[in-house]
Amino acid sequence: MSKHLLALVDVNSFYVSCERAFDPTLEGRPVLVLSNNDGCAVAMSAEAKELGITVGAPWFKLAPNAQRHGLVARSSNYELYGDMSHRFLQVIGEHSHEVEKYSIDEAFAGYGGPLQGAGPWAERIRRDIAERLSLPVGIGVGATKTLAKLANLAAKRVPGMRGVCVWDGLDAEYRDWVMSRLPVQQIWGVGPRSAKKLAAHGVTTAAALRDADAQFVRRLLGVTMMRTVLELRGQPCIQLEEEREFRDSLVFSRSFSTPVSTREIMAQVMASYAQRACTRLNSRSTEAKTLTAWAMTSQFNSAAEDSPSATLSLPAPTNDPVLLTRAAQALLPRMTEGTRYTKAGITLTDLSPRGAQPAFDLFAEPQQDKGIGPLLQQVREKSGTDAIGMGRGGMRTAAEWEMRREMMSPRYTTRWQEMLEVHAR
Amino acid sequence: MSIQDIRAVPVTGPAMEVPMMPTAVQAGFPSPALDFVHESINLQEHLVYDPPATFIARVSGDSMVGAGISHGDQLLIHKGTRPRDGDVVIAVLDGQFTVKRLRLTGTGVRLEAANPEYPDIEVPELSELSIWGVAYMCLHGLR
Repeated sequence: MSKHLLALVDVNSFYVSCERAFDPTLEGRPVLVLSNNDGCAVAMSAEAKELGITVGAPWFKLAPNAQRHGLVARSSNYELYGDMSHRFLQVIGEHSHEVEKYSIDEAFAGYGGPLQGAGPWAERIRRDIAERLSLPVGIGVGATKTLAKLANLAAKRVPGMRGVCVWDGLDAEYRDWVMSRLPVQQIWGVGPRSAKKLAAHGVTTAAALRDADAQFVRRLLGVTMMRTVLELRGQPCIQLEEEREFRDSLVFSRSFSTPVSTREIMAQVMASYAQRACTRLNSRSTEAKTLTAWAMTSQFNSAAEDSPSATLSLPAPTNDPVLLTRAAQALLPRMTEGTRYTKAGITLTDLSPRGAQPAFDLFAEPQQDKGIGPLLQQVREKSGTDAIGMGRGGMRTAAEWEMRREMMSPRYTTRWQEMLEVHAR
Repeated sequence: MSIQDIRAVPVTGPAMEVPMMPTAVQAGFPSPALDFVHESINLQEHLVYDPPATFIARVSGDSMVGAGISHGDQLLIHKGTRPRDGDVVIAVLDGQFTVKRLRLTGTGVRLEAANPEYPDIEVPELSELSIWGVAYMCLHGLR
């Protein structure tokens, strides 16, 4: 009998695994990946977890003892992770016609076929990703997204499963045993606040939530949690969302290594970010109709909290860096001189494919295609991001507020100058 | 040596750009020229057979000159393909990616250099060897 099942495929310690794929010396060692500005650990290998390091641990505290433990830290290399994520999805796409990217390192994939075939199918995906990308994955298969997530947890935690678990292939008694031991807050869609409310009614495990009265759960926590209950029983309620053809927003934002507190420097930041956002628009062949320029203070600085933003509606969809750079300056009058901003960004929304504006919109002035955006992009690809820029974005050397990434590995797969080196010795 | 086939390859503009047929024409007549749009040769399409599993690496050193691989050349590497006898492989030796020619013999496995100044390396079994990928093409600049 043919069944429709869903797999949740995720990469174990994704950032670390990407680093290891290109650097065999990291194999078997404790490895950390640090947040923007090399502040704290955002990802770590199993060996680093065993040392008692947790997410958020500040690097300056770990650094003095790093050598003694053989601990290696890497700055986040988002270009590398993004490219590997794309390859990961491509490989999954060869095994399934329905793929939903869920996050940078997780995807749902549909399976249609006999139940006995699901395990070997998942195993083929696991092996394929290991061999072609050097990335270790875990795969959970179930009748619903919630069960696929749950099976994925089991695949990782139950030693005999070796990374693959088909929930429907387990016998009922064993499934009950797993569910009765799984705390309710570990179920997909159950946050800490919901878990607390459920606990007040004696619902503390996955099994208890599955067996709870669905209408009662709906009254207590709303329709979303009721769907979770039904999904735990094997009734699909959360559909697979295949990627929309055009994502409708694009964000370029960064944290600063040194806070920015003057309009003069913020003007440079905005010019630079607007041009980089523009490069992304061009690479997706889209144009934007709305631009939001924003900045914020640190969340730890509640005394002088400020998050100014300015949103402009452009006369017509555009990818013109001259226009977007000018528009981004709208933030400046909204900011308070002297306030220490730690992060800023440009959000472009109302995106449409390039040249798709309605033919008879008399009021939309067609932008002159000066070809500046693609030109900037070509120069950047050839000579690096900082090689060219317009106006205040054209500073030759990295500015003081640029992010600190001192331990970054090469961007092996996205930069020609930084490609992998192999030795003929 | 003779050259069998010469084709034009675009040298200006982004190499990956391909003239696209506008599929949704919003207004006006479809251009008769559309019937004659041909895509330029796309190097990516012909040199990369398995895009997600293809990686590029720069060669450092001269131990493979006899195989036509020089210092500074770029290798296209296919990961996850089964290495065969005679393949140029990227092996992990002492934590380093190393280019060697793989020899599968009756008595074991040998990693050969293509330069008499470098010794071969013998391994009892393929499973004891970590092969990162198989190099299937070498980009060697001529100017």
